[in-house]
Amino acid sequence: MKFSKIDFVKLLKGYKTGWVGISSDHKKVVAWGKTLKQVREKSKKIEDRIYFFPSGESYSNFVG
Amino acid sequence: MKIHYSSLPGAESTQILMPIVPIVLINGEYNTPVYALVDSGAVGGVISTVIADDLHINWKNIPPRMGFSVGGNFRFHSVKLEAEIFDHHFPLKINVVEGISAFKCIVGQKDLFQRAKVIFEAYKNQFELIFREYN
Repeated sequence: MKFSKIDFVKLLKGYKTGWVGISSDHKKVVAWGKTLKQVREKSKKIEDRIYFFPSGESYSNFVG
Repeated sequence: MKIHYSSLPGAESTQILMPIVPIVLINGEYNTPVYALVDSGAVGGVISTVIADDLHINWKNIPPRMGFSVGGNFRFHSVKLEAEIFDHHFPLKINVVEGISAFKCIVGQKDLFQRAKVIFEAYKNQFELIFREYN
């Protein structure tokens, strides 16, 4: 079984700051907020499990 | 479970492929589903203070310790949580790091790597998690 690619480039297009809420199939952004607290509040009524991710980061020079 | 590397935004038109896994962090009645970088170079896992706040962790009351990485020193506060990855639940000792940038959740050798065999195949843009079976 293979878990498909999560395309954050596509998902985060148009979101330059804050946090996004992503659907449980990892295919669409269902909420946005300036903060994690705000996006959680906005996605409260959605029954699907929402995954949270920051939307203003650049990962090109990350060294871990 | 084989997992395709995720594409992440980089500078200009470039995109970065990294091993990312969906994870649900659980602190008692609170849970925060996020995405974690699977980092074989990380001794222990880390989360940001923002995620810790969302989990209602009173991290400011936990005495800080100093850690270091290639980029310098950082302050961290150790906490015990539960984690869920692909329906596998396990206890997770993780560090709340102040001022963390880019990745807000990273799992490493002392946590996920103790629970699963992790095979990186960067040349195929994929990695595999084989969770250990417990009787």
